Amino acid sequence: MEHREPAVHLDRGFWAVTFALAIVAALSVFAWVVAPISGWLPEAANKAQQIDALFRFLAASGTALFVFVVGYLLYFAIAFRRRANDPPDALGVQIHDNNALEFWWTLIPTIFLVILVVFSIKIWAGIELGPNTGLTVEAIGHQWYFTFRYPQINGEVTNAMHLPVGQPVTLRLTSADVIHSFWVPGMRMKADMVPGLINTLHFTPRRVGRYQIICAEFCGTLHGEMDKQWFVVDPPVKYAAWYDAWQKKNSTASNALPVQSNARVAFGAGDAKIGQQLFSQKCTACHALGPFSQRIVGPGLLGVLHDPAHPNLVNGDKATRENVAEILQNGYKGDMGQMPNQTANALSNTDIANLVAYLDTLK
Amino acid sequence: MRAAVAADQFYQETRDLRVTGFLLFMVSDLVLFSSFIFAYLYLRNTGQGWPPPGAPHLNLALAALNSVALFGSGATIHFALENWKHEKFMKFAGWMLATIMLGIMFLSGQGIEYYSLYTVDHASWAGSGVFGASFFTLTGMHGLHVFAGIIYLTVLLLQAAQGKYTFKYYTGLTLGTLYWHFVDVIWVVLFSIFYLI
Amino acid sequence: MAVTAPQPGGIADHIHPEPQGFIRKYVFSIDHKIIGIQYIVTSFVFMILGGLLAELIRIQLMNANGGFMTPDTYNEVYTIHGSTMVWLVIVPMVTGGFGNFVFPLQIGARDVAFPWLNMVSFWMFPPAGLLLYASFLVGAPVAGWTEYPPVSLQGGPGTSMWCVAIFLVGVGTTLTGINFLVTALKMRAPGMTFTRMPLFVWAQFATAPLVMIATTALAAALAALFMERQFGVPFYDPTKGGSPLLWQHMFWFYSHPAVYIMILPVFGIISEIFPTFARKPIFGYKMIAFSSISIALLGFMVWAHHMFTSGLAPFLQLPFMIMTMVIAIPTGIKVFSWLATLWGGKIQYTTAMLFAIAFIATFTLGGISGVFLAAIPFDLWAHGTYFIVAHIHYVLVGGSLTGIFAGMFYWYPKMTGRFMNETLGRWTFWLFVIGLNGTFVPMHWLGLMGMPRRVAEYDPQFQTINQVESLFSFVMTLAILLFFVNALWSIRHGKRAGHNPWHARTLEWQIPSPPPYYNFKHIPTVLANPYAFDEPVPYAGLEDELTDSPAPIPAGAY
Ligand code: HEA
Ligand code: HEA
Ligand code: HEC
Ligand code: CUA
Ligand SMILES: [Cu+2]
Repeated sequence: MEHREPAVHLDRGFWAVTFALAIVAALSVFAWVVAPISGWLPEAANKAQQIDALFRFLAASGTALFVFVVGYLLYFAIAFRRRANDPPDALGVQIHDNNALEFWWTLIPTIFLVILVVFSIKIWAGIELGPNTGLTVEAIGHQWYFTFRYPQINGEVTNAMHLPVGQPVTLRLTSADVIHSFWVPGMRMKADMVPGLINTLHFTPRRVGRYQIICAEFCGTLHGEMDKQWFVVDPPVKYAAWYDAWQKKNSTASNALPVQSNARVAFGAGDAKIGQQLFSQKCTACHALGPFSQRIVGPGLLGVLHDPAHPNLVNGDKATRENVAEILQNGYKGDMGQMPNQTANALSNTDIANLVAYLDTLK
Repeated sequence: MRAAVAADQFYQETRDLRVTGFLLFMVSDLVLFSSFIFAYLYLRNTGQGWPPPGAPHLNLALAALNSVALFGSGATIHFALENWKHEKFMKFAGWMLATIMLGIMFLSGQGIEYYSLYTVDHASWAGSGVFGASFFTLTGMHGLHVFAGIIYLTVLLLQAAQGKYTFKYYTGLTLGTLYWHFVDVIWVVLFSIFYLI
Repeated sequence: MAVTAPQPGGIADHIHPEPQGFIRKYVFSIDHKIIGIQYIVTSFVFMILGGLLAELIRIQLMNANGGFMTPDTYNEVYTIHGSTMVWLVIVPMVTGGFGNFVFPLQIGARDVAFPWLNMVSFWMFPPAGLLLYASFLVGAPVAGWTEYPPVSLQGGPGTSMWCVAIFLVGVGTTLTGINFLVTALKMRAPGMTFTRMPLFVWAQFATAPLVMIATTALAAALAALFMERQFGVPFYDPTKGGSPLLWQHMFWFYSHPAVYIMILPVFGIISEIFPTFARKPIFGYKMIAFSSISIALLGFMVWAHHMFTSGLAPFLQLPFMIMTMVIAIPTGIKVFSWLATLWGGKIQYTTAMLFAIAFIATFTLGGISGVFLAAIPFDLWAHGTYFIVAHIHYVLVGGSLTGIFAGMFYWYPKMTGRFMNETLGRWTFWLFVIGLNGTFVPMHWLGLMGMPRRVAEYDPQFQTINQVESLFSFVMTLAILLFFVNALWSIRHGKRAGHNPWHARTLEWQIPSPPPYYNFKHIPTVLANPYAFDEPVPYAGLEDELTDSPAPIPAGAY
């Protein structure tokens, strides 16, 4: 069926409206560019600035797009209404298609999205692929509070997470029960705390202050109460003082994260139950609970201490509790790869004792 | 004559609808299996290695025998339908019976395996960890499909004997065959992922 | 597969004897129109319940320290609110409801392919809903409509009832999907080629495979959760070797496509209303049809965008981010085509058209915030906060629900033979739009500034904004109440509408209102795509259908 499309004529009204919308869109873009985002929500860490930049870009272009869509919508809705003097069943212009137009409104959003993807990936890479350097701190979610563990501070810090300004941090997140999420709006970022899994956040605190830590994943009855702890960025001196004070206060407890100390592990305190939990949080990424030959990254650990076919450890030492503890403290690099040391695995001496106690139960 | 043409057309179109609907039903059933297979492979690759501690030892020989029975039944049901198309009722019934017997053999084999897992390895559905969860759920689901299939085919055979289908109009039989082949194919996948890799 | 349309005289032309008796006619009916109306009515009943729960949420949140409900009750309330709205309102309404009523009529069929199966699908739905609400008696689920384990493993016994209930609705919708897909492939009237199908048919055709495939995956996830809770079979519990992330993958593999199940049919509704009231062909017919299919396909490849913070391997995150953004392109094609349909029209402002126009604005806002969320670094900020709540309500309330209201005002005359009251309709419209935006716009801000979702109490700095939102939500409730009053009142007292009051051109309008149980006396032949308004209606063989006088002039009719 031959169908002749009527000619499309865009009148002056259309161009005037387009011009007006362009001005409104430009103004709103401008407003987002200068918006004092950090005034509304302080930027506590370096990544926050980058995420804010992305947000400005999104908000500005999103607002501009929205202005055009709604602007045209209202304009067409008003300009092309059926008027009182039109016949009751007056028809509109019978056009069906316009290939050029359809081409452009496919292409332009595509180009915009390509830009957005590139921009997002750049920032994403800085966040997700950063090296595990600097101070390593652990945050653990519980129903319904957070605890924090520091190198050499004995015991768990329970009130607030202090960090020195300007120093890179690797934050390792996990959970003791259900899924929580560690969110500091001031940092913009969050990551879930999943039992049995360690997620990391890398960042550098850049502004002294106190920021709320909020749990952003539903975790049970009092999920809403998990916003009472603080992320405190201190000047280095103040941080050091806080650190020492906690260390003193907790000198009796022994589950601190040591910084490469070769202090002997006291096995007496080892609790296989706790060891099992630690194992499922920290070791199962690389080790199976299977025979030695069953490798993930490292060997299977089912018989490390009790398999007659496995008298020696990978480093050649006899399979004893002391020697296993030694590998856990110092790590070992052999044919299979690198077994991380105590610092990299964020293990305290007590942790090691617990782990060895657990490994000892595996037959 | 006209009536016959109309009946033919009516039959063709109903057949068309039913076969399409049945195929789509099998697609969703396939997704159900795929989801559990995905779960199994996911757990296998992210958990504490595989097989996890305490996982029972599977009996490859028995399962292989079982597979032969099931694949054989794929062939027999094919012969059954072919014979129906060639209007040989007795042969059809014979092959159908063979299919049903093979299906029963398969189920018995599976029963033996379950029983030995239960008595020797003390493996149970809930008690043998993620292995048991995947293994018993998937093979159990498949077993239920086989069981349903046996009943289905028996009903078809009885109906055929009573003359519900003619050599010209037999959509029900086609669907039964499709179903049985489907159950067969699922088993190929399950057998490979549990016993071979 | 060669798709052939049925010929007259075949099964499509077969008229079943009319059912007799109240039960066979209206309760266990196999007539797609009755089943469609059953779905619509049941969904609206559940919407009242789900909406009342929403108002309980809003009452609780008027005070930063909560106090109206205990935290546990609050958790139950929003969990059932979300579950109801998704599974008992929007999904059944747009597939089972509008799909059943309109789509067989639009393809010129006497019924769906498997009418009896259709009845079975429907009857899985009300018991499932009752089961879900019965869970309040034993301690309803608390972990949100997403029920992430391990916390959902701790929830009350109601969580297992939730599993069963959702499983049941799921089976019902899956069967509907199969039924519709066969219907769309095999039952179209002669001459209705793919390029002549109305766009609502295209939308259902794109949705059916989504329903059929995704819902089954959900069934598997639910079955596993149920088994783990009731029998201790470990799938998700990390202390037993399971993986909590496994649930998230399986759940979102369903639930992301599900959001398109909830929006694609609504796109179809809008694509019918716009040409009818702009008195213009839909602009870019082929691209709108094509974009429905591509959204449906892409919808399967983006599920992990709900899991950016959960510890997904970094290089898995990127493809999901990119695919998610790609969906903006086909959706944009639709939005722009609708705008172009308005251009040069002679727009008639019925309430249906008002809702359809509002849909464009509110849905676009929700879609744009969706693209924000797709950008991973921004999602790290906004995930798990009220920003998400804002996004979902803009797409679901501003999108799906607004479109449903448009569709109700549009097809009500076909269902009942009478108009809904237009004056009341206008009140509904304005109150709804004001309430909607007042309730949900501020949530974007709240989320970014630090208010997490699913909390029974929150930081006092947010209290004023929350109170404002609650007030606006009451306005929205009033609007919806007016809608119900209108719908009930008009069954008896609405103006009579005749068979085609809007002078629409799709097939359902060419037969009496409400249509006879067999729909068409003779299956018509379709000659062209329905949207060329300057040509005669493109159907042959409809001469005997109408016994009433020629269509009334629309002016003054509404
Ligand atoms: C289509 C889906 C849909 C719809 C329509 C709505 C509608 C509404 N929703 Fe909901 N909502 C969800 C889907 C939906 N929601 C989902 C999926 C979640 C996530 C849940 C989760 O986190 O797990 C959620 C969560 C959610 C929250 C966040 C809870 C939290 O995280 O703590 C809030 C808070 O304000 C909210 C509010 C509202 C309001 C005010 C409405 C209003 O629009 C409601 C309007 C009122 C009505 C629809 C009823 C009106 C009628 C009457 C009262 C009349 C009575 C009449 C007669 C008797 C004839 N919703
Ligand atoms: C009808 C339902 C619906 C629809 C249609 C959508 C559509 C989209 N959604 Fe949404 N979404 C939900 C319902 C829906 N969503 C729900 C219920 C949740 C939360 C679940 C929960 O956790 O409880 C959610 C959560 C959610 C998340 C996860 C957030 C998180 O929890 O961290 C993300 C992230 O990517 C996302 C993205 C998108 C995108 C990109 C679209 C796109 O499809 C939108 C495309 C549309 C447009 C973009 C607008 C029109 C286009 C133009 C005008 C063209 C030009 C535009 C551009 C070039 C940008 N959604
Ligand atoms: C990044 C991966 C990784 C992690 C995490 C890891 N390991 Fe290892 N581990 C290895 C590798 C690789 C080896 C083997 C080194 C070689 O011989 O090449 C190893 C070896 C060992 C051995 C010696 C095994 C033997 O049979 O001699 C023990 C014991 C061990 N790891 C315990 C642990 C414990 C306990 C944890 C958790 C706190 C842990 N590992 C975490 C990679 C890892
Ligand atoms: Cu912890 Cu929410
Ligand atoms: Cu999604």
